[in-house]
Amino acid sequence: MSAATIVPEIAQAQRESILGRTNPLTKLAIALAWLLGLGLTVDLRPPLLLALAALLAGLSIGGLTPGALARRLAPLWLAVIGIFLANLLFARSNTDPLAIELLRIGPLRITEEALLAAGGLGARVVAIVSVGAVFALTTDATFLIDSMVQLARVSPRFAYGTLAAYQALPRLAEDLGTLRATRRLRGLREWHPRLVVGLLVRAIRHADQLAIAMDARGFGTGPRTSYRVVRWQFLDAVVLAAALAILVGALLATR
Amino acid sequence: MAVEPGSVLLVVGPSGSGKSTLARGLAGLLPGQFPGTWSGSVRIDGREIAKDGSAAGAVGPGGAVDAGAVELAVDAAAAGGLHVAVEAANAPPLTPVDLGAGIVLQDPASQLVMERVGDDVAFGLENLAWPLLAMRRRVPEALASVGLTGFEDRRSTRLSGGEQQRVALAGVLAPAPGLLVLDEPTASLDPEGAEVVMRILASLREREAATIVLVDHRAELAWPLADVVLALGHDGRPIDVGPPDAVLQRSGSALRNAGIWLPEDREAVAGARTAWASRAAAAPAASVPILEFQDVRFAFPDTEPVLRDIALTVLPGERIALVGANGSGKTTLLRLALGLLRPTAGVVRLGSRSPWRLAPVQVARLAGYVVQDPELGFLADTVREEVDLGLDREQVRFAHELCERLNLPLQTFADRSPYRLSGGEQRRLSLVTGLARRPLLLALDEPTFGQDRRGHEALVAALDDLVWQGSALLAATHDERFVRDATSRRVELAGGWIIADEPVGREAAA
Repeated sequence: MSAATIVPEIAQAQRESILGRTNPLTKLAIALAWLLGLGLTVDLRPPLLLALAALLAGLSIGGLTPGALARRLAPLWLAVIGIFLANLLFARSNTDPLAIELLRIGPLRITEEALLAAGGLGARVVAIVSVGAVFALTTDATFLIDSMVQLARVSPRFAYGTLAAYQALPRLAEDLGTLRATRRLRGLREWHPRLVVGLLVRAIRHADQLAIAMDARGFGTGPRTSYRVVRWQFLDAVVLAAALAILVGALLATR
Repeated sequence: MAVEPGSVLLVVGPSGSGKSTLARGLAGLLPGQFPGTWSGSVRIDGREIAKDGSAAGAVGPGGAVDAGAVELAVDAAAAGGLHVAVEAANAPPLTPVDLGAGIVLQDPASQLVMERVGDDVAFGLENLAWPLLAMRRRVPEALASVGLTGFEDRRSTRLSGGEQQRVALAGVLAPAPGLLVLDEPTASLDPEGAEVVMRILASLREREAATIVLVDHRAELAWPLADVVLALGHDGRPIDVGPPDAVLQRSGSALRNAGIWLPEDREAVAGARTAWASRAAAAPAASVPILEFQDVRFAFPDTEPVLRDIALTVLPGERIALVGANGSGKTTLLRLALGLLRPTAGVVRLGSRSPWRLAPVQVARLAGYVVQDPELGFLADTVREEVDLGLDREQVRFAHELCERLNLPLQTFADRSPYRLSGGEQRRLSLVTGLARRPLLLALDEPTFGQDRRGHEALVAALDDLVWQGSALLAATHDERFVRDATSRRVELAGGWIIADEPVGREAAA
């Protein structure tokens, strides 16, 4: 129930690594470019190569330890396996008499086409998950929000509101625990639709308090300056160029 | 009434008298933020805060307004002066920034906007469009003024409540407001944390850095700071205004009758303690424990233990105060006792069973729980439904009686929403729901938080009756007054260990 278990906060080592110092918007752009690039091919290899590149980058220039990375990825492997199996077993090509049959167990027939399609999809999920994990583990929330406001011209009210809401999540999780506790101590079932009302009241109350605190400090009254100035750096160009080179390389590695 | 620039106005009043409303109004938050009418006249630096919003005047970049003089114009003929009624909407006038006012609220965590301490302190400066270099100079200064030098890169969510409150104070002080409003800034802090905050206020007062309006229940800490005291009565009208000594002399007893804490109340309700202490001596010594901890350790996954080697036996008729700094494990200990958490090692027994194995109905029969934040205990739409929820007829009768005793008469409150009560009223409602079943174990988390004198006395008396009937009291508290008035055994926690377990006030019991 401690804050750390719900909202991951990144450590000094990752924040000061090369990927940590790269602007979060650059990293988002790379993720987007890679995702679009993968749309150009159905081959298995490019997504797996990109996933590998992301993980290696995380371990080398991202300051991540293999343990931390593995822990973050662990639950996601389940999703990968689930998507792979579902697409393998329920592919339409399994019922196509012209498809090449690989395996038949009773009524279950698996074709080569299904295997390729499921493998391609699974590989894409692996890529997305790996890139996402490395992004999350090397990106400081404040850096992301400051960049959005200063470089991408996102509305400060929206951006800082989001940051504050993100910080309030652990509190809301604690509130839910306490709400359940008080139900139990009054002889009631812990889970009940009514909990939603209590939680909603709390969420509104937190938001309200925060809005008051922000307004009381003059938020939204006029032009504002920034304490943490964010600028594009040479590093961003280097990382972006390297990432695009990796994408091209991965796409060329098709059969 | 008028408050000189650089002096301290202390606002006191019973629970529900409109202290917070006044504080917010002074900080320029009221008419714009809350539905309500604001009549009478408040001028800050000669500017009207809420009439028609004509008197504007922004604070320039890097500039601070002069230490503001607060003037509360008292319309003596009509209503006896300052009257705050919350009824209908009014035109939005000046913002806090226009007024050069800053406000620190009760709940430390909900005021912090940014993830890191330095960013949070700079937040108000950014909004005033301070130049970068000025901000870089000012942030460390503001942190130093609250004794948090070098905290810039710390995460605000990782700080203790007292530290968070000091960060909030630094953030408000950074733009050097002419008027500093503090709405019960120490209410949720442990005694040390509260003293540090008050020391900071004292140094601000010495430097005449800002005009300070302080709302606080800790009379012994707050009164010595005050230059002017404004005492509000139940109806939100002033009982008296003036220098603290004069107010004490003129209307000391009127204030006491209104339920307001006075500085000499350190020793609190003299009669309350001796009354039960003499009865307790005659009570039969019970031997079957209600609650037992044997070598209990508790840790959240992958973290340092919150509690270590806890051994504690609670007998019927015992009154135990659980004290210790914020984060020392008091709430966790209560939750283990109630079966809301499972011990990592060791044995907890409530009655004769492991509490976490019990069904909700069984737990409810054995124990009553009053959580720290009363809003998290509310399950119904009206006060009456809330009180009656899940009780049998006999318990309902007792619950209604408790409402009367705790100054929460159902004639007045029955149809109100629990969420719309004042902080003190919410606390009393949660006490009613926690005590209504006359459980064997009364597990209370900060039961006196935000209570005025009358609430305190009523609570001490109600708890006394229950303990007399064979319940045991286990109360986590920062309130030394409550410890002295209502408990006979003091268990102190620090860093997850029990570091003291001793009788309270031997001289009173002897």
